[in-house]
Amino acid sequence: MEEIKGALALIGYGLAAIGPGVGIGIVVGNAIQAMARQPEAAGMARTTMFLGIAFTEALALIGFVLFFIA
Amino acid sequence: MKWRSRVLLLGLAVMAIAVAIYSTSIPEAHECDTAKEIICAPTNVVELFEHKEALFSMGPFDVTRTVFLIFLATLIVVAALYFAFRTPKIVPGKFGVVMESMVSFVRDDVAKGTIGPDGGRYAPYLLAVFLLVLVGNLFELLPLINFPITSRMAIPAMLAVFTWVIFVFVGFAKNGFAYVWGIIWPKSVPLGLRWLVGLIEFVSTFLLRPITLAVRLFANLVAGHLMLTLLLASGWLFFSSAGEIGARALIGVPWFAFGLLIFAFEFVVIVLQAYIFTLLSAVYIQTSVHPEH
Amino acid sequence: MLQLTAPMMFLGPFVEEPSEPEGIDLLLPASSELIAGLLAFGIIFLFVWKWVLPMVDKRLEARQQAITGQLTAAETTKHEAESLLADYKQQLAKAREEANRIVEEARRAAEALRTDVVGKAGSEAESIVRKAHEEVAAERQRAAGAIRDEVASLSLDLARRVVGSSVDAKAQKKLVDQYIAELEELKA
Repeated sequence: MEEIKGALALIGYGLAAIGPGVGIGIVVGNAIQAMARQPEAAGMARTTMFLGIAFTEALALIGFVLFFIA
Repeated sequence: MKWRSRVLLLGLAVMAIAVAIYSTSIPEAHECDTAKEIICAPTNVVELFEHKEALFSMGPFDVTRTVFLIFLATLIVVAALYFAFRTPKIVPGKFGVVMESMVSFVRDDVAKGTIGPDGGRYAPYLLAVFLLVLVGNLFELLPLINFPITSRMAIPAMLAVFTWVIFVFVGFAKNGFAYVWGIIWPKSVPLGLRWLVGLIEFVSTFLLRPITLAVRLFANLVAGHLMLTLLLASGWLFFSSAGEIGARALIGVPWFAFGLLIFAFEFVVIVLQAYIFTLLSAVYIQTSVHPEH
Repeated sequence: MLQLTAPMMFLGPFVEEPSEPEGIDLLLPASSELIAGLLAFGIIFLFVWKWVLPMVDKRLEARQQAITGQLTAAETTKHEAESLLADYKQQLAKAREEANRIVEEARRAAEALRTDVVGKAGSEAESIVRKAHEEVAAERQRAAGAIRDEVASLSLDLARRVVGSSVDAKAQKKLVDQYIAELEELKA
């Protein structure tokens, strides 16, 4: 029972990581596009990119917490 | 050029010692059956992070290894700042330049750049957060320490709570009750959805912000420490039992190589997480100083 | 497994710990570490607030002042150098002019000297030639006189010997002169 629970937690975390993974990819890709298009605004784009990553990552973090709790 | 190569050599030596310590630090290593398993996981992950036995006690207060490391981090931060800014030198040395650029980065780029011209008021808090988190993170890779104190929930949680208190307090001080009202009743959203968006905003602002802020730092450092231990120790366990298992010891090669890669990658994570924690604190304060932006 | 009861949430670390450490333990801050963290952060925050940032400000200010001072010093030095350069240029021009003038003067003096010398030499040569001519003429006259006397005495002697008698010397000379004049006439 205990092992099944652990395996389920693993799968759950894996599923929880899909969305943020895709999201971070989109955020970074668009940030790179913005930087390439306007190199003079690269600093701003980079800061905003980190912010976007941080917010997107929150979902994966909640999954991480649940993995430990479950 | 000579100076640079010396620093590089020193860094490589430090890295080698840290890797060696990671490689031999997995608990209950003898239980790993390298003849059957393909990776040696620690039997209990939590034991990698919990140091319950007290090194010594100060009255009712037990000084565990983690507590000792927290005080060591404080000492390092204070000493570094003291030696960098001891004299009002006009032309600082190399160390002074590094510390100065760090201070001016947090104060000018993060505090003033994010919050605005009056962001200098929050610079001491943000700088203290940045330095404590940075040194706490760096402990992950420092040999003989090899344990990030930010992978214990205490410090991320404490700092997140401080940030939460500051941005809530500033929000009320600057905007009065309109601060909370602006969050749960956003004027820019159509009336039908307003209550829903308001609820989500309320939860995300007052509950999820501090939790994610703390957990982001904590989780990154836990994951990093775990990966390093797992990979490097697995590699080492396979190598060291080569006499008994023969060619199977080669299984350790990819683990060890991957561990070295992660070791280098952790440098990036360490600095980035310290930066993101500080930046997000600044952004949260900024949304309270200037709401609706 | 999930023991998320209220006392656990707030007093987690104080609750009697389970024999086997659980994942949830990682997520709850340990009280001793919290206290240590509070102390540590307090120390760092106060140090940064009361000492580091004022020191950084002071240093930046000192640097700015130093830079401003150096800039003004450089400015004055530059001005000085510029005026000095102008001075030098002026002096150089003056010196060149002077040199030109001196050279011109010298040339003129040399020219004058040359014409002078040449003129003097010409006149000297002329005078020498003239003196020589005069001397030659005088010499010739003197020689002619001497010859004439000689001839007169010779002829007198001759005549005395021929005549055997003394002839009046005065008349004799008169005769000779007459004779010579006739000779000269004849010659002419």
